[in-house]
Amino acid sequence: MNVPRLIHRNVTRNPFRSGVVFSCAFLLAALPFAVTFITEGGRASLQRVLGRLGADLLIVPEGAEVKVETALLMGKPAPVWMPRENLDKIARMPEVARLSPQVHLATLAGASCCSASEMFIVVYEPDTDFTLRPWLDQHLGRELGPGEVIGGSQVFLPNPKANILVYGSPVSLKGNLARSGTGLDQTLFMTSETAREVARMSKTRAEQELVVPTNQISAILVKLQPGTLPERVAARIAREVSGVTVIQSPALFQATRRELTGLMRIIFVILTLVWLLSVTVAGLIFSLAAHERRRELGVLRALGSSRAFVFRLLLAEAAALAFAGAAGGIALCLTLAFCFQEAIVFLLKIPFLFPPPLLLAALVLGGLLVALLSVVLAALVPIWRISRMEPAQAMRE
Amino acid sequence: MIHLKQVTKVYPSDGANSVTALRELTLVVQRGDFVVIKGRSGSGKTTALNLMAGLTRPTSGLVELEGVDLWSLPDRQQSAMRNYRMGFVFQFPSLLPSLTVLENVILPTIFGPGLAPGEAAAQAKNLLATVGLEDKLTAFPRQLSAGQQQRVVIARSLINQPEILMADEPTSNLDEQTEREIIAILEKVHRLQGVTVVMVTHTPYISTPGALILELAEGRLAKQSRI
Repeated sequence: MNVPRLIHRNVTRNPFRSGVVFSCAFLLAALPFAVTFITEGGRASLQRVLGRLGADLLIVPEGAEVKVETALLMGKPAPVWMPRENLDKIARMPEVARLSPQVHLATLAGASCCSASEMFIVVYEPDTDFTLRPWLDQHLGRELGPGEVIGGSQVFLPNPKANILVYGSPVSLKGNLARSGTGLDQTLFMTSETAREVARMSKTRAEQELVVPTNQISAILVKLQPGTLPERVAARIAREVSGVTVIQSPALFQATRRELTGLMRIIFVILTLVWLLSVTVAGLIFSLAAHERRRELGVLRALGSSRAFVFRLLLAEAAALAFAGAAGGIALCLTLAFCFQEAIVFLLKIPFLFPPPLLLAALVLGGLLVALLSVVLAALVPIWRISRMEPAQAMRE
Repeated sequence: MIHLKQVTKVYPSDGANSVTALRELTLVVQRGDFVVIKGRSGSGKTTALNLMAGLTRPTSGLVELEGVDLWSLPDRQQSAMRNYRMGFVFQFPSLLPSLTVLENVILPTIFGPGLAPGEAAAQAKNLLATVGLEDKLTAFPRQLSAGQQQRVVIARSLINQPEILMADEPTSNLDEQTEREIIAILEKVHRLQGVTVVMVTHTPYISTPGALILELAEGRLAKQSRI
């Protein structure tokens, strides 16, 4: 017989009472954890996409920024166009170190000439590209050849030897990028040479011809010279190149960030209400339990336990239940998130990636602490009251 | 050993009226005494016992144990004193329902530095054998009769080898046969171990020679005699 065993026996002997406190702690930990986990997951995902783009500036046709962001984040293709000559105008600026154009395309919807319906296709130019270059160097060790493509993490083939059909042309999947938790995971990347060949063959092989305009592009990724102020170059481009919108890298996906922040605000209000309700219920349960166990606690005091011992014993019982409930809640959230990562992206329409391990550990710790402190706070007054009672008074009916 | 000096105990009640349970009561319990407190319902018997044990604070007057005012001690020392100098047998079922018989008997040892865990278990088994319950070590209180539960409580009260045993109507809910057995155990403990016993009871089966009978009436000592 020892104190931990006494705590264990006391906690397990009334399943209803313990169950209610467990549930309160479960909610107190699981809800804030789930919310911060998803929003941090969203931020981690955006961070990875930004890192992968590797650009200081993204230049898109005027008014098309939301369409481009939606295409990149949700994989919803919406081809937009601007004159290719913009590329030359920007390339002439001395602050620009490198720049690379992209053409955004989409496969046909429900057509037998395309393996996937409405799939987002990013066409890049190998000579200038710096977005896919690191992956190609590391994983393939060479350029993509004609008819070769790479896909996002969710692009796969049931038979590895099979090809993907794009506008009637078979293309070979040479590898997959790491998961980003965005629409880029369902995107196909091909060189401009492959895109032109697919477009040429589509005249005879596809249900509808693929048109890749030679003098039009969808976006320009710009890398600046070291020490250059991006806002100054952005202003200059906006001034000198008409019909474009310049997005600075940190400001990219602002709409999604705002959405996440808005979501957070609404959920914060709900969380506050749930917190108040849970703490009240837990407090009520502890009040009832303290009253119900008055005589038993009086006996403990008579047998020689001090006020401080009774106080610590009851607090430890509350903390044990809170910890178990919180751990259960967080474990369930993590399991669900792990099993349904893709569903989070598609159902909530936000990018999502498991946050980095350190941040994840901090979130788990935070969730546990919130539940632990809340339950202990709720239990504090009834526990303090009962532990202050004279043994004889506590034992009286 | 225990000295109540001019002790008054008033219980505040919900309304304006309060209840005076003891009125300037003075009494002395000597080491090795077997004291029986009697009296009608509401005469202050249980309050007197609670005061002697430090379970309730007197409204006025002093409660001394070996010359030390109990209520001048901080809670920690008072609790420690109850833990290793006193044993308690209550009128109501006082075993913890979630603990086994053996664990209930060991329970008081976890509040103080008294016995090591192994020692405590051995001592508890001895005591349970003494009260005839060596075969119920792993049983839970709900599996025992009222008489058996009270025997476990007696074993628990003796685990820290106390000097004083306080019993508040320990046989009130028992049949006659069990009542005799419980009283016999308490008398045996007094006789063989020299434990001072203070017992509130109405039982006619006390046979300890020289037992001190204190009779209370309306919060005062009405009569004092010895068997």
